[in-house]
Amino acid sequence: MKIVVCLSPSRGVAPSSPIGLDDASALALALGLGDTHAVTAMLAGSASDEGPLRRALSAGVPHAVRVVGEDFGAADFHTLGQALGTAIQRVGADLVLTGARSEDDGLGAVPAAIARHVGALHVACIEALVAADGGVEISVRGGGRRRRLRLPLPAVLSVVASGPAMPPLPDSGGEPPAIEVLSLVDPEATVVRRRTELLGQPELPRRTTEEVTSAGALMDALLG
Amino acid sequence: MPNLLVPIDLRQGAPTGPSLFALSEARRVAHIAGVTVVAALLGDPRPEEEAHRLAARLGVAGADKVLLYEQPGLDAPALDATHGPALQLLAGRVPPLVVLFPAGGAGMQLGAPLAARLGAAFAAGADLEVSDDPLPLTDSVGRLCLRRWRPDLSVYRRLDPVELERPVVAVLGAHGAPREDGTPEVEFQVIEGPAPQESPNIVELESVADEDADVALAQVLVVVDPAVGADAVAKLAARAPLGVAVVGLDHVCQAALAACMPRLLLRVGVDTVPAVAVPSPRTRQGAILTSPATGAALGRVDVVWRGAGPKAWDALAALLPRLAAEPHGVGA
Repeated sequence: MKIVVCLSPSRGVAPSSPIGLDDASALALALGLGDTHAVTAMLAGSASDEGPLRRALSAGVPHAVRVVGEDFGAADFHTLGQALGTAIQRVGADLVLTGARSEDDGLGAVPAAIARHVGALHVACIEALVAADGGVEISVRGGGRRRRLRLPLPAVLSVVASGPAMPPLPDSGGEPPAIEVLSLVDPEATVVRRRTELLGQPELPRRTTEEVTSAGALMDALLG
Repeated sequence: MPNLLVPIDLRQGAPTGPSLFALSEARRVAHIAGVTVVAALLGDPRPEEEAHRLAARLGVAGADKVLLYEQPGLDAPALDATHGPALQLLAGRVPPLVVLFPAGGAGMQLGAPLAARLGAAFAAGADLEVSDDPLPLTDSVGRLCLRRWRPDLSVYRRLDPVELERPVVAVLGAHGAPREDGTPEVEFQVIEGPAPQESPNIVELESVADEDADVALAQVLVVVDPAVGADAVAKLAARAPLGVAVVGLDHVCQAALAACMPRLLLRVGVDTVPAVAVPSPRTRQGAILTSPATGAALGRVDVVWRGAGPKAWDALAALLPRLAAEPHGVGA
């Protein structure tokens, strides 16, 4: 099975961690499927965004691809999905894994856009993954149920972390392979709709914090 | 009039609280913004009497019109592969200005794929607002916008479908108690879907009750750091009324936390922002910290109590029932 793990650029991630919690979980699930599957880590961004790819390589992922095109930092989820989908089709994949939420905007919409672009089935917020005969088995919650499903491939699955702590990722040591740079020269795939166009204009909030010294005062302030 | 489409989540055949609240919110803005509130239901074929009862309930909550798409298999928990095409068909029947998914429900699975299909903007956790800014529309009605905050509440974005010239698909942020501002006399239409397609061949191997299902639907969420101790969690959970979920940060499923959009989030001993779904301006946030010195990474909270001692948990537990009461002004 050919697996691509799409990672988010490290903007907004704590300096101590080059990779987001859900992205790390997606990587851990991919690596947990075993050596018989070819795993590629992929990220759309600039050279300064490569931190997650380097972490993936040091965790034992044999192949990492950075997709370059327009300014992806300013692109909306449709454009990112289109760009990543195009790159995934170039690399080839039966299964695409992503983190469910990015660490900055946390939209969780890019996986759906990738799935639409590559014509694959999409399930959000899976918690577990095993390879099954000709497909995969996943665990997912919804509608008050916790379900185990067998899915056909190709599929694009977003992964939500199983706990608040980073999953243990191996560190293979040694010199990691170089990161391949994939340039999307197809004009159709590099049309960038600006984030400000589709996500609106950012405005600073006006919130203040009130300090209290008792449970009663806390309740009064919260319910006030 | 433009349409505001609200996909309804059902549990045991009844609409969830967040679904009714989403309709209430839609009703709140409908007159000012000049929109028609359309409730969209996807489900297995059901008796006519039951369908009409359901439609009347949705009308009372605020729907002008109810569309029921019936197809065997749609009572199962929503997935894009099984439910997405039906929802897209409904969106085609009543082209929406805004699609507003209720908190803690199918929006997590269906929202982003629908936005991808419609070429719409998407907001994972948002609030509805009506404003005259930048300009009222030509017929003097207010402009329907959505406001979406970053998870750390450092900044928000306003999404105006008129300005964007495309619809907005959003999952409603902090939810509260539904109001009953509508009428049971609602326009009701049943659409019988075709037989399910052969693909995508998804096989359900196991289905069990989700022990954290209440967390996703909670109006009030109390998150307790494991360092505070299991005793504190037990004390607080024992006094938590309906609608208030008390969870240990080390035990609760992250997927449930990610789906939860409470109107009130209280962090006990947790001095970093937990991965709760995107809060909103109406999510009141409080924090109780055990040390006066902690809390550097709190992010934006409305109220903080530093240096709470061991007896604080008893005092807090005794006051928890107050949290279930709807504060004045929520949703207004």
